[in-house]
Amino acid sequence: MTETNEVVYTKEQFINAEKEMTLLTRESLKSYKKEYVPAMFAKFSDITKLAAKDIIRWGRANSLWPLQFGLACCAMELMDFGAARIDAERKGYLMFRGTPRQCDVMIVAGWVTKSIVPRVKRLYEQMSKPSYVIAYGECATSGGPWWESYNIVKGIDQVLPVDIYVAGCPPKPENLFKALMKLQDRIRGKYDRDTARSLSENLRSI
Amino acid sequence: MSIMRINVGPIHPGTHGVLRLVVDVDGDTIKKVEPHIGFLHRGVEKLMETRMYMQNPSYTEKLDYIAPLSWDDLYVNTVEKALGVPVKEPAMYERVILLEFQRIASHLLWLGTFLNDIGQLFTVFMWCFRDRAKVLKLLEDVSGSRMFYVNLRIGGINKNLPEDFQQRAYVLCDYLENKLSEYLDVIEADNVFMERTRGIGTLSKKDAIAYGVSGPVLRASGVEEDVRKSHPYYIYDKIKFRVPVKTRGDSYDRYRVRYEEMIESIKIIRRAADTMPEGDATGMPIRLIGPNAKPDIVVMQEELPRGEGIIYMVPEKQRPYRISLRSPAFINLAVLPMISEGYKFADLFSIVGSLDVIFAEIDR
Repeated sequence: MTETNEVVYTKEQFINAEKEMTLLTRESLKSYKKEYVPAMFAKFSDITKLAAKDIIRWGRANSLWPLQFGLACCAMELMDFGAARIDAERKGYLMFRGTPRQCDVMIVAGWVTKSIVPRVKRLYEQMSKPSYVIAYGECATSGGPWWESYNIVKGIDQVLPVDIYVAGCPPKPENLFKALMKLQDRIRGKYDRDTARSLSENLRSI
Repeated sequence: MSIMRINVGPIHPGTHGVLRLVVDVDGDTIKKVEPHIGFLHRGVEKLMETRMYMQNPSYTEKLDYIAPLSWDDLYVNTVEKALGVPVKEPAMYERVILLEFQRIASHLLWLGTFLNDIGQLFTVFMWCFRDRAKVLKLLEDVSGSRMFYVNLRIGGINKNLPEDFQQRAYVLCDYLENKLSEYLDVIEADNVFMERTRGIGTLSKKDAIAYGVSGPVLRASGVEEDVRKSHPYYIYDKIKFRVPVKTRGDSYDRYRVRYEEMIESIKIIRRAADTMPEGDATGMPIRLIGPNAKPDIVVMQEELPRGEGIIYMVPEKQRPYRISLRSPAFINLAVLPMISEGYKFADLFSIVGSLDVIFAEIDR
């Protein structure tokens, strides 16, 4: 989510702009036509920009396309996730796609060896930006049971920026569903549900 | 025409994992296929030598993640032979039932993904996964885990089966038998499926024996060889079942052998459940120091869903000194360059899919 030249408004500025615009439209539009109309359009575009940001976030969060990409055991659970039992499309994770250029989410499922790392890296670079990475299972998170092996990368986060880690060997498909919902919340700019809940519980206990 | 070189994989939806194929094509005809493997290598045999005997099942089950129980059982069986511990009579029956359920689950997953490769997108895939989930649920209730059930102990199983297990197994068998017959209406009534599998990737009987392939790939080429029949372990010699054999050796026959194996597995489960003796089936609990092994070399073979798996083990007292695995999928993959030569490029994935390869086991 890196957007260059992004104008940040405070709430007050936003309200003032809105008030000014309504004033402009109600009265004295005719007399100040020459001077104010270009300014008005400029302000309109600012506001639409602000609204567009939310619309883009909404669109991104509700149409996450995962990459069809399995390395090892966890890919079996990924297939189960794509099957009918957990109907993932109802939350906006559309079909698994074969090409990285159509995808937003990469679910790294399985252990990552030193020989597959350049390929995974290239897939990530080919994905359309912004792209998100989920480390699914113990092996992708930390190397898991192959920690002592000479050919294993101890966690995909040494290579790619990881957004969500899912624990388990292998995690159940339900856990992936929860992880993707958390990712959606993050894209929408919300707090994580669990974080918010634990914060409120802490406050209550104080 | 000039020959063009195409690179497929290692990450490709059609290769069932991380297989890289370098294909030379003349127009649309395959001239040469060169498989490149090793993308999942992690040195599992060496890692197993550093662990105690009963720490290793968590490694062996990750060799074949579609049917984890089968490798697990082969390893535990080898260790039992090395330690000289007999398996309890009820545990044998229970293991056979669980292994056959695992075989059905493995073949169901294969069937769904194979039909996806062929072009029957997602209908049968969804059905297979629906039915596989029912099998996995039963195995989960028995062992406590959905995919990696580390439930085998030396001489038995970690805990006795639930009381209603037999009844549930019968109900599930009836359900699966019913559903499997439904699949045929969709699969074999489809001309696309028949055109893309019949006469594709033919493996002759002579070549099959020469290359040493095993399992459904061998039986589709007309060789009646099944470890459950030829070297029976557990109670397979007491149970009557048929080994499905086909003669043409093409993709269709390999599919058909697996399909009929599922039906035979259902029969095995029913017969084993009928004659299952009552009694305690729990094995030795895992301790820091277990019983000592005899110093003799142990070789054990079993019929896995993908073919004949062999473990060669040189035991030490508390851990294996050297362990070597014969992976059936590795040897089955070796015939790919030979049998895909001369077919169209689009048929390549029908052939790769029908061999039922699995890369954790091949790369080790």
